[in-house]
Parts: sequence; C-alpha cells; structure tokens
Amino acid sequence: MADFLRLLQNENMKIYRRVGTWVMYAFVVGIPLLMSLAIVSVTPEEPTSNWLFMYIASNILVNLIAIFTVVKAADVVAGEFSQGTIKLLLIRPWRRSAILLSKFLALLLFGLALTAAAFAVTLAVGTAFFGYTASPQDMFSEMARENPWAYTLLWYLYQFVSTVVIASLAFMISAVFRSGGLTIGFSIFILLAGGLITNLLSLLDKPIVKYTLFPHLELTSYLDGGTGPLPRYPMTVGFSLAVLGVHFLVFVAVAWLVFNRRDVA
Amino acid sequence: MTQSPVVRLQDVTKKIGSRTIIDRISLEVYPGEVFGFLGPNGSGKTTTIRMMVGLMSITSGDILIGGHSIRKEFPQAIRQVGAIVENPELYRYLTGYQNLVHFARMVPGISRSRIDEVVRLVGMESRIHDKVKRYSLGMRQRLGVAQAVLHRPRLLVLDEPTNGLDPAGIRELRDYLRKLAREEGTAVFVSSHLLSEMELMCDRVAILQKGRVVDIRAVRRDSESSEAVRDDVWFDVDRPEEALRALGGLGEGRIEDGRLTVTADRGTVADINRRLVEAGFSVYGIRVKTKTLEDQFLEVTRGESVG
Repeated sequence: MADFLRLLQNENMKIYRRVGTWVMYAFVVGIPLLMSLAIVSVTPEEPTSNWLFMYIASNILVNLIAIFTVVKAADVVAGEFSQGTIKLLLIRPWRRSAILLSKFLALLLFGLALTAAAFAVTLAVGTAFFGYTASPQDMFSEMARENPWAYTLLWYLYQFVSTVVIASLAFMISAVFRSGGLTIGFSIFILLAGGLITNLLSLLDKPIVKYTLFPHLELTSYLDGGTGPLPRYPMTVGFSLAVLGVHFLVFVAVAWLVFNRRDVA
Repeated sequence: MTQSPVVRLQDVTKKIGSRTIIDRISLEVYPGEVFGFLGPNGSGKTTTIRMMVGLMSITSGDILIGGHSIRKEFPQAIRQVGAIVENPELYRYLTGYQNLVHFARMVPGISRSRIDEVVRLVGMESRIHDKVKRYSLGMRQRLGVAQAVLHRPRLLVLDEPTNGLDPAGIRELRDYLRKLAREEGTAVFVSSHLLSEMELMCDRVAILQKGRVVDIRAVRRDSESSEAVRDDVWFDVDRPEEALRALGGLGEGRIEDGRLTVTADRGTVADINRRLVEAGFSVYGIRVKTKTLEDQFLEVTRGESVG
C-alpha cells in the first residue's frame, strides 16, 4: 500500500512540475477576480450578493475545469506514449493495472483539487468584493435563498460527479488512441456533439435519450426539487447517477482492457 | 559455463497478423557476460528486446529472467532488469535528478545515497539538477544508463546504446559496461547494427536476420589469444613466390592476391620471419589477417545489407 502511494506521488509530481498546471490554477484564481472587478466597476450601485456572484463565476469555472481535466487526461496517458516515457515506466516491478490506477487517481485528484480551489476562490473573492450575506434574496432558487451553503455545496458536488465522468471518458480515449491532441479534440467534440444529439433525440421524442450520457451531466437541474435535465422525461437523481455510473464503469473498463493488452511499440 | 543463465529465451516467436516478426529465437545470457545482438535494421532486434522487458506480448515461447517468466511473473522477472529501449526518453520537463527519484520510487529499497552514487557513476554531478530538455543526446544517454542501473539489475538491456554518442562517449560506455559485467557480474544484453562496436564490446554475439538467429559465436579478444591459436598471417616480402618455397614446411603457406599468406601460430610466425631474413629476403611487414566480425557477419548473412 505504501508502495502504491509512491506511484501516486510520481503521477502527482509529473502533474505539478508542469507549468501548464499552474496556468490552469491561474485561470481559476484570475477569472473570479477579474469578474468581480468588472461587476464592481460597471454596476457599482446595484448590490450583488456574494452567493449570486459565486454561482455565476462557478458556472464558468466548472466548464473550464472540465476542459482542463480533459487536457490532463490527455497528458497522463497519451503524453507518456508520445514522449516515449511509457517504455521506461512500464518496465518496473508493477502490473500495468497498478500504473493505470495511479494515473486515474491522480487525474481525479487533480480535478478535485481544481474544484476545491474554484469553491474557495469564488467564495473568498465574492465575500471580499460584495460582503457576506446569510440569506441572499437575489438568488432565483428557494433553497439557495434559505440555505446558500447547502445549495452551493450540493451544486459543487453534482458538478464534481460530472467532472469525474468526463475525466473517465477522456481517460479512456487517451488510453485507446495514445495521442494527446486526438484525446483533447475527440473528448471535447463528444461533449459538444453530445448536447446536440440530446437535443435532437428530445425533439424527435425518443425516450432512449434518457439513457444517453450527456443530459445526465447536468445533475444540477435536480437542485431545488427539479425533475432533471429533460423537461419531457421527469427523472430522479438516483436514475441519473445510475446512468452516469454505468458509463463510468464502461469507460474505465475499456481503458483498463486496452492499456493492459496492447503492445507498446 | 556452469552458471545458470540470467536470461533465457525459449523458442520466442512474435507474429503480427500472419507475419512472423520473430521466429523461434532461443538464446541464453550468463552472469558477467556482455552479449551482443547484431542484425540489420528491421531484423527484429527491438521487437525481441520489447518482448524481453514485457512491453510486447510473446506469441509463443517464453522468456525467463532469473528463472521467472516475463509473461506469467512479470513483477518478479522485471525487477531484475534495467533497460533502455530505443532512445533514452525521459521526462523532459523534470530535472535529471527528479527523473531518477521517479524511477527509484517504483522499486522498493533504493535510497537517496544510491541515487547520488549512480549520478557520480555516470559523471552527471554538475548537470543533474538541470531539466532534461536542456541535455544533449549524450547526457540523456548517460541519464538513461543511470535509471537502468539504479536498482542494481542482474540483467542490463540496452537497445542501440551508442546511438548519438561521440567516440569518447562510446568508449566510456564500453568501458563502463565491461566493468559492470566484470565487477558486479551483471549480464549485459546490447543490440546494435554496428559490427565494429560489437566486436569491441561483447563476449558473444548472436546474429539476427529476418527474425531468426542465424548464428551465435564468441568474439575473440586479443588479450585472450594464446600460443596455440593459428592465424592467417600476411608477410609483405620482396619475392613472394620464392619466399613461399623457402618456408620449407613452416606453417601452411600459399600465395593470396600476390601476397605470401601463412597459417601459423605465434611461435612459427617468428621462425618464418627469421628464416626469410636469413635467406636474404626483405620483410617489409607482418600482419595478422584477423577475421573481423564484419567478415564473419558478411559470411553468415551472405553480404546482405547491414542497415
């Protein structure tokens, strides 16, 4: 066990010794700062609560974090292949499964750390610029007006679940194609095309849309008593989580099978 | 040799689709031996090495390292191997030292002092804290050797290790590998398409052609040549035909390409020289016509191109 932690330590070292990682953190810190400066300078007399600010800024940041996680997923597996370092990595006394697991966990930890940073920064910046309100009246959700902490935390939790599923999708593509550029391009294409496919299927009134991945990435639509991402098909959080879970398992299984079996050329 | 081999390839075969890339290769490498794996580009050297270190699956046959099968007991087998496969591709955005720490963490029991020792060994003290992207190919090659020997492997596998090294670097590497084999009893498996290289470095070589081992032979070293060994020797004399008649049964003489050539051992060569000089011939030079590995290689592969 202690030895496995050393693999994780290695993967973390390879993530955090790269300049790109810190540029990503700079975005997570910089965007809320710039946004609040903009809001303060444009509408100085109109009061914005710290919670509304946090909600708006976090919406931007979670999309950014999804992209950053895809980029890192491309790096941690495909990057080793394109740099050729995979050959030195796999000739150590470890099963390929253990190496792959350490990479996947490092990727999820990276996504978690960015999400936690986004939470902390938007909360701190919002409070610093707009003051702290215990019950923000400018929030559109009943739950958020009454208990902004619970609302925001749950919102972040749901977003993180989506990030994990997106990470597993990109991780699979990274392990299958072994090309960083292809991983980033393909993952983002799937995420964008996914929304279109969902819209198309809903328009055509096909119930199968309930079982596709993409609508379920919008878990936050269940907040405040909502019936989920598809207005025509009321669902529950449990159902959405089950669909996400099945996709997650398939992505991880494919990544594992391919990574374990294939020759390293 | 009575010792048990460090690595044993048993009828190793690799097929990709219907193509047979490697065809029933069997060979053994013993402790303290530098073993050359020689063949033209595309003959299957790198494929064989990839199977030896578990990067590629083996279609049939097996590879045992210290008695452990690389297919069935991968961690136990690979624990005893240090390798550079193709170019030493290390993490360019890390320093040399961070790279070594990275690989040291993957094998239990490698201390910081061992890392420092290896850094000294490859002579990288002054540059080890620079990022790898600032290294020359020669320095990356040294760092590659460092990561390969970090965990004191019983088998060191190097794929074309002299690629990109200058002559001084090649000599240094050669001396280091021989020292490792001699002093630590490491078995060294080196691939190359450069015959001259192999001749200087190896104890034995296997010659690979189109996925098959066509020959395995010992490389003779000058220091090991004894009185009993008979060589073809050229005598550069003024009248070869007459000189041949004057030999009178010393060695097996003949005229080759207009030159007096005698197959004889060392003592006889001296005797022949004395007789020729006493008989009034002018001897301008005596040269041992060593069969180079290149000659042998060309014989075996019948002159097909050597990459």
